[in-house]
Amino acid sequence: MRPHDNRAWLLILPALTLLGLVGALPLLAVINYGFHDIFTLQDVYWVGLQWFTDILQSDRFLASLGRSLLFSTLALAIQVPLGISVALLLLSYGKRAVWGLMLVALPLVVPWNMIPMFWLGLIDAKTGLLGPGLAAVGFDWKFTGWHTWTLILAVDTWHWLGLVVVLAYAGLSAIPPAYMQAAAIDGASRWAVFRFIQLPKIAGALAIVFLLRFVDSFMIYTEAFAINAGGPSDATRFLSLELGEEIKGFSYGQAAARATLYFLIVLAVVWAFVAATREREA
Amino acid sequence: MRHLGVVVLATFILLPLVQAILLSFTATLPQDGSAQGAIGLMNYRSVLATPELRAAMVNSFIYVSLNVALCIALGLPTAYALARYRFTGDRHFLMAILVFRVTPPVVLSLPIFILFSQFGLVNSPVGIALVHCLFNLPVAIWILESFIRAVPREFDETAYLDGHSGPSFFFRHLVPQIAPGIGVAAFFCFIFSWVEVVFARILTVTGGKPITMAIQAMFSFRTDVGMVMAMTCLSLVPGVAMIWFVRNHLARGFTLRA
Repeated sequence: MRPHDNRAWLLILPALTLLGLVGALPLLAVINYGFHDIFTLQDVYWVGLQWFTDILQSDRFLASLGRSLLFSTLALAIQVPLGISVALLLLSYGKRAVWGLMLVALPLVVPWNMIPMFWLGLIDAKTGLLGPGLAAVGFDWKFTGWHTWTLILAVDTWHWLGLVVVLAYAGLSAIPPAYMQAAAIDGASRWAVFRFIQLPKIAGALAIVFLLRFVDSFMIYTEAFAINAGGPSDATRFLSLELGEEIKGFSYGQAAARATLYFLIVLAVVWAFVAATREREA
Repeated sequence: MRHLGVVVLATFILLPLVQAILLSFTATLPQDGSAQGAIGLMNYRSVLATPELRAAMVNSFIYVSLNVALCIALGLPTAYALARYRFTGDRHFLMAILVFRVTPPVVLSLPIFILFSQFGLVNSPVGIALVHCLFNLPVAIWILESFIRAVPREFDETAYLDGHSGPSFFFRHLVPQIAPGIGVAAFFCFIFSWVEVVFARILTVTGGKPITMAIQAMFSFRTDVGMVMAMTCLSLVPGVAMIWFVRNHLARGFTLRA
């Protein structure tokens, strides 16, 4: 058992100070801006809850919220099971799995703004490796909504699958061989081994995967904007794209109110998730 | 069946990269000395001949190294405290760093810009290095904490009995013991920082642009796609090298404790 010692705070203080400066302080500022109309930094008027009521009552906001939630759900539903399957697949290769890990980690080091460019190059109808084939089967990501969705989901999966695989593999490879041997003696099925031994052991790693993937997909901007800028006819207009428009349009007060709302939504989901995880552990 | 899965996976991951590498060796715009569609090193030559792009590589190196150094330096004592002691508010602290890690950067971009411009940190790699700690410091703390926790307590106690003071124990015993953990933490901080664009964009208005923003600036009415891809492929080299260095320790990852 770890001893109780409040002097440990001294060790934490430097990290806490830095996080306060680049995290807590700007967060308080953004919440404050949300209650003001900002023309310039010297020209600021109190507007109370007006921005918040405006945003919450607009149909566009609710539609974007729905789209972003759907996108996150789909991204998680695809990437988490796929990532676990790939991790299990790699595990069966023993020592050679390290090559697979390096392979899936590659997309993680590509600059974010270039990821959509890679894919647009790949599916370019004239010069792309996949372009002519996709054009022949009528894949039209510019003007057909669900084709754009498919493309963005594929790009997002390509980008982030490595993180899921690496963390799931880390959890799986830490399981002592004795567990597996015991299961083999009991004649446990492949599914039973996964459900009752492997899954509980990687729950901690999966929790962080779930949260990171939820937040990043919920606030997806770079890929979605570069691929179709919210189109066709708003089919991929996610929450972050609306915020981007307001910042570009210099309506800072409204943008801050919107940012605060997004933060609160993310916070609510994270809190619910952590509470659920703790309850399961208890 | 098993091998088929690996082949499908490798194709999916490698196809976009292969496409980019092919384009980077192709003259996509007619240039002096090479016709459009010609194959060769001309894009790489033009990238290395452009002063802004060379400066961008230097900027990226400076801010990423600074960020990794900060995260490890501040993360180590924090991780040690969390792994070895209980104290009032430790769970709240873990929750707080989780919240910082999941705060969308776009939410904070505006006040960060205003705050940093008052301290003269805009257009400088130092500003980016500091703000990237927002999401990298929590990751570094999680990873280092799990590695320190794996070292038995007796290890600390023996060192103290041998007469080592706090700092001397830390640097001469604990740090070598968890060196792989420091490598993995540095790797994750590196990749999250190297590829980030939201803060990098807002904090580099006129100068100090890192690679990501220098590539962005190459897009114009007549974009030289080949050159863009050449620059991108060059930007992948340090990342791939990092993957190679930590390959045997990658599978230690990090888990959620809140």
